Amino acid sequence: MTRFLTPSKIGLLALIELYTEAAVPVTSTIPILSFVLNQLLPSTIKSQSRSSNSSSLESLPFLLDLHAFETLLAAHSSAAGLPGRTLWDKFLQKLWGIDSLNALHEFFANRAFLLAKSPEEMKKDGEMGIPPPSQDMILLSRTSPFGGFIRRAKVEFDRLRFSDALALWISFAKWRQESKVYCIRRNGALGRWAGDRALEDGEEEWGPEATEMLELVAYGNDLDGVDDGAVSTDDVEKLLEFQVEQMQKFGNRIPYEVRDKFKGILEGGVTVPSLSHYQNFLDAWRAGDYPTSFDNLHRYFDYTMQNRDRLFYQYALMNLAVLQADFGCFEEAVAAMLETVSTARENKDMACLNFALNWLYHFGKAHPKFIRGSESTNMLGVEREGLVFLRTKAKETGMWTLWSSSLLSEAKLGMSSGESIATAFENMVKSSQLIVERNMKSMMGPQMAMSSSLWGRLGVSHLSKEYCEVFLGCHARYALFDDTLRFSCRIAQFLAEKGQYDEAMKRLESMDENSLRSWKANQYWLKYRGILRLKRDLHRNNLDGADQLLSQLLQSSGVDADPDLGFEINILHIDYLIRRTDFSRALAKIENLASAMKEEGDDIALRVKLLVLKAGLQDKSGRPQKGFSVAVRAASIAWRARLIPLLWAAMGAIANILNSLSEFQAAAQILVAIIPRALECETFSMNAQLYSYLVDAHMGLAGKADAGSLKRKENLTRCLEFIDRAFDEYSALEDIKGQCEMMAKKATIMKVVGEPVLANDYASKYLDLKKEAALAQA
Amino acid sequence: MPLTEQDTAQLRAALQEAVVKCSERCLYQSAKWAAELLTSIPPTDEASEPEDSQMTEIPPDGLPPIVVTGNLDPEEAQLEAKEINQYLLAKSFFDCREFDRCAAVFLPDTVLSGILSSTSTRGPENATATTPKGKGKARVSSGRSASKLAPILPKLSQKSIFLALYAKYMSGEKKKDEDSEMVMGPHDGGNTTNKQLVTISRFLENWFREHTTEAGEVVGSQGWLEYLYGMVLTKDKNEEEAMRWLIRSVHLYPWNWGCWLEMTSLIGRVEDLNRISPHLPQNIVSFFFHLHTSLELYQSTPNLSNSLDQLLSIFPTSPFLLTCLALLAYHIKDFLAADAHFSNLLALHPHRLDSLDHYSNILYVMNLRPKLSFLAHLCSTVDKFRPESCVVIGNYYSLLSSHEKAVQYFRRALTLDRSCLSAWTLMGHEYVELKNTHAAIESYRRAVDVNRRDYRAWYGLGQTYEVLEMHAYALWYYKRAAGLRPWDGKMWMAVGSCLQKMGRDIEGIKALKRALLADSYYDAGVGSSFGSGGRDKGGAMDPEVLLQIAGMYERMEDMGEAKLTWRYSQSSDDESRPTGGGTSGDTGTGVTAATSKARMWLAKFAMRMGDYTRAMQLATELCQDGVEVEEAKALVREVRVRLEIGGGDA
Repeated sequence: MTRFLTPSKIGLLALIELYTEAAVPVTSTIPILSFVLNQLLPSTIKSQSRSSNSSSLESLPFLLDLHAFETLLAAHSSAAGLPGRTLWDKFLQKLWGIDSLNALHEFFANRAFLLAKSPEEMKKDGEMGIPPPSQDMILLSRTSPFGGFIRRAKVEFDRLRFSDALALWISFAKWRQESKVYCIRRNGALGRWAGDRALEDGEEEWGPEATEMLELVAYGNDLDGVDDGAVSTDDVEKLLEFQVEQMQKFGNRIPYEVRDKFKGILEGGVTVPSLSHYQNFLDAWRAGDYPTSFDNLHRYFDYTMQNRDRLFYQYALMNLAVLQADFGCFEEAVAAMLETVSTARENKDMACLNFALNWLYHFGKAHPKFIRGSESTNMLGVEREGLVFLRTKAKETGMWTLWSSSLLSEAKLGMSSGESIATAFENMVKSSQLIVERNMKSMMGPQMAMSSSLWGRLGVSHLSKEYCEVFLGCHARYALFDDTLRFSCRIAQFLAEKGQYDEAMKRLESMDENSLRSWKANQYWLKYRGILRLKRDLHRNNLDGADQLLSQLLQSSGVDADPDLGFEINILHIDYLIRRTDFSRALAKIENLASAMKEEGDDIALRVKLLVLKAGLQDKSGRPQKGFSVAVRAASIAWRARLIPLLWAAMGAIANILNSLSEFQAAAQILVAIIPRALECETFSMNAQLYSYLVDAHMGLAGKADAGSLKRKENLTRCLEFIDRAFDEYSALEDIKGQCEMMAKKATIMKVVGEPVLANDYASKYLDLKKEAALAQA
Repeated sequence: MPLTEQDTAQLRAALQEAVVKCSERCLYQSAKWAAELLTSIPPTDEASEPEDSQMTEIPPDGLPPIVVTGNLDPEEAQLEAKEINQYLLAKSFFDCREFDRCAAVFLPDTVLSGILSSTSTRGPENATATTPKGKGKARVSSGRSASKLAPILPKLSQKSIFLALYAKYMSGEKKKDEDSEMVMGPHDGGNTTNKQLVTISRFLENWFREHTTEAGEVVGSQGWLEYLYGMVLTKDKNEEEAMRWLIRSVHLYPWNWGCWLEMTSLIGRVEDLNRISPHLPQNIVSFFFHLHTSLELYQSTPNLSNSLDQLLSIFPTSPFLLTCLALLAYHIKDFLAADAHFSNLLALHPHRLDSLDHYSNILYVMNLRPKLSFLAHLCSTVDKFRPESCVVIGNYYSLLSSHEKAVQYFRRALTLDRSCLSAWTLMGHEYVELKNTHAAIESYRRAVDVNRRDYRAWYGLGQTYEVLEMHAYALWYYKRAAGLRPWDGKMWMAVGSCLQKMGRDIEGIKALKRALLADSYYDAGVGSSFGSGGRDKGGAMDPEVLLQIAGMYERMEDMGEAKLTWRYSQSSDDESRPTGGGTSGDTGTGVTAATSKARMWLAKFAMRMGDYTRAMQLATELCQDGVEVEEAKALVREVRVRLEIGGGDA
């Protein structure tokens, strides 16, 4: 494996020469130049200036073969020479003009003529009597991309050892071999030994047999065979950089076919770029292979140590810490990160320091237990101060990502502790401005997630969902796969809340398969699918199935489990227990969660949710009044923190309590006031619940009115109407139990109204539902 | 030299035996040489023997034992049979390059050290007993109590002794290579020696003493130990003695090519060769030797090519002989023929790298870049760690003017083999190109130390000193080069111009005249090899040289001679002038800067002498030539004025 030069680079040089000879007609200049530039420029620059017409260039193979050149050049006619000849012909003529190892040397020696001369050289030439080059030639500036490429190629060729130059020549001969047939057809002048002048000249003298033998000795016996030596270290490094960047950007693993290709390439060369270890590390990390990733990380830094000294020690530590944390070794992770902080301070590496502090902050948020033991609180002070510190630091050092993420963190902190929504908005807008200004595509994910969750808390679930869709539609291409996954799950959640389980499932199923090979993402994905199915089972009252799923889901909720998912699973567990009418365990679970939350200072929304659940539990156990204080507290917190959907749920609980206290009028008034706004939240289970409370209230009102009075009748009619509404919501959710309940209520009302036939009908419908559910379960 | 069927068979048998015997003694290069020769005998195509005739040589009772040959001497045979197991062990050690271990199988270190100490204790006695030639290394006249004083030598067969001592020698060589510094490094004086030589020579000395009869005959010796002794003596610079032993060896066993090569390396001049020839055995190998040595001495007599042709008729495809043929052509500067021969050789033996470095020199001189690049390609593919390959590659880089790289490759060649002569010389050339005169001088010097017959190195040394303006030194080296190549005009020219610069005009003129003579000699040679080619310009002389000579005469104020020479010089394009442009390239040299200069001088001289018409004629000619037109025109004007004045006077 050579360092830089490959046959395809020789091809590019020849193409550049064609261009400088003005053989390229004006109309085809742009495609050809962009073709060459696409090969020369580093991928980072390319990705920034992605234009619409470069799609054809992107489909090029990594190692240019002759076909790539042919498809490009055959379409353009040559500006000079015989009419009817395409640039492809000219190009081949150039390639086959290199007819010996010596010609290759000369080819490279002549590259210097393509460059514009410096004034001193011009002067020297003038003294020597060499005329200045003709005006027709396009001379390349020494500092242009082309000029740089030519100079680099020349230098690289000069420093090749003979055997390497020879290897280049042989692989070049192999590379162009496939065009031989075409050349013969076109020019008819190429003999058997075309491509090597020595053989061609010698044939007369030696005779064909001896010549063939010499050819075999010189070139080996597979000149027509596939060439695998055409990769240079430079190419591989470029490729690795690209791959690592991709992996870091999207958090994916290497696709199988790419990995196999890599293996093939790296096996060929003696020198394996150290970056490949890093790539292996990333891959193993994503694959959840702890020992391998650890090993490879160390290997990478062992190999890079020699040329970069100890400068990068803090980065090594940082990588180590992140890795440790990812695999659940939190103590080690914290220790490593603290070391990173001190090393970065020592080396005055502000970027690294800020990143480490940021990471520590987030880590502390996620795992307060581990951070408490260490003295990190001294390092960052109180949470908020820490964030402010980070923000100002980021501003000073120009780390825009960190700045915006600290703004978002601040917004999140405010939100989770139930503070002013306006402040949260302010922070988000600031961060948004920053992101747009600095074109930080990678930060789009957190920003959108924050907006989405804020709107969700404010009860505008439509907007919240729309944010998710916008992200998936517009920004997913540039973002981590984790973000994409989370947004997809969120949408699935919205869908599930509306009872569209199949669609939600489909949403998850359609995720990119390769990205799901990443271990963490895969776990998340699996769990989320489990949650969706669990929800469905619970609604369908398929408690055995739910039990099975729950036992699996609860098992995997260890320390390393995602906190959001953990909470969701716990809620569902409580729901399951309630449906099993195992109220005492449900209560115990709620109490457990609540106390844990109080300790960790978790998101206020979750706490309110628990309170509401508790109130609901009291109701289920037949003692709604006991939940009064809880419900009121929930309502007041929710109101203060503007947790709108939870507020309605809490108000519903209060209304229910009022019902139980026979304050039907008040209950009905509350419910009538909140239901329209609750509908906005698009949470069908809550809607159904509220409607059924309303039915209860009206029923109570009807009961209070005189028998046969208009008021009673009116209330009963309302009851029926709301029962239908509730029934619709329940059936959308496929909630059998709710449906049955509503049917039963309806049948009772009919009986009260005195329509036994209808009552009978509804009763039989009730039985049908039950039967159906039983059938579905079986 | 037609051979009968029987002779051929005999020859073949002898060669087969030689291959086996040489490889038994781990003389691989000699074995290779013999085997190459063996396969180049054309098979006799008799109708009755459809299968490969070489197979028919095999006795009916199966293949000859390749591993071990028998010995004709019954005593030796018995010993060999007894030692067969140890021998096989030692041989395999040698093959694994564990030389010390190999030697220790037969001659444990105690025995060897015993030999060393015993000889050193009887130092004074030894001094009295030595023959006048050697310093303690020559043989003791064996009549007296030698057997009592000599240490007890183990009773071993000669083959085993040879193998053991040769292994010792090789081990010494290996150590020497390991001890020596980087090529041309600060401590690389080229003076590391093989430390085992003393032991070996002592041992052999004793052995020969034991086996020598009163008449000076070594009883039962088979030639191999003599060869080894000769080799050791060569390394000790005891060349007379070495030659004696080597000659003795080839008498006893002529098919050991390595021995002949050692002899070649000891012969520095043709006279030496002629002196030695009568003492040599008269057989075909001796013939080979004569040919090879003559070539090494840059001889190129028709006699030589004749004998080469004879040998070729026996071994038509022998790569060795084909190489000789090419070298012969190279030495008479017939590059085209040499190229053709080598090219032919390449086609016949594409994997053979030997002496391709000479081919690369030829291609270098002919400036055939693609061919040279192909040759380098081929060599590098076959084996890139052979000195020959490295030299070829170095030559190629030199042709591309990447002198640093060239030096690097020559250096590599030297690291692989320090006695690689051409690499030293070529490296010197590269250093000259790089203007590193000190390094250049050192490399040339090393080349000369390796082989005193290399005229290019001598010449290079002279050139380098000339660059440094140390003419006396340069002259000395040029003279050495000229002595080696008496018929090469370039050498004499160098000598001449050097003398000129030192102000020794008479000698300089002599040397330059000799150069002119030599040039015409070689040109004649070329002409003959081309048959009726169009280059029969035997009489033409290089105008540059003539110019130089004329300059010197002028300085000596010998105007008559000077004028004569100038005229010669000018006339070398005169011949072509009348015939016009059509044939001007064929005869004479045409108009060159030199002839124009000569014409100018003559014109001015004619002016001074007052021969204005002649001056006028020459000046107008000069105007036609188109060289130095301005000056010529000025001259014409002046002549015209003078003529007018002269006319006025008259």
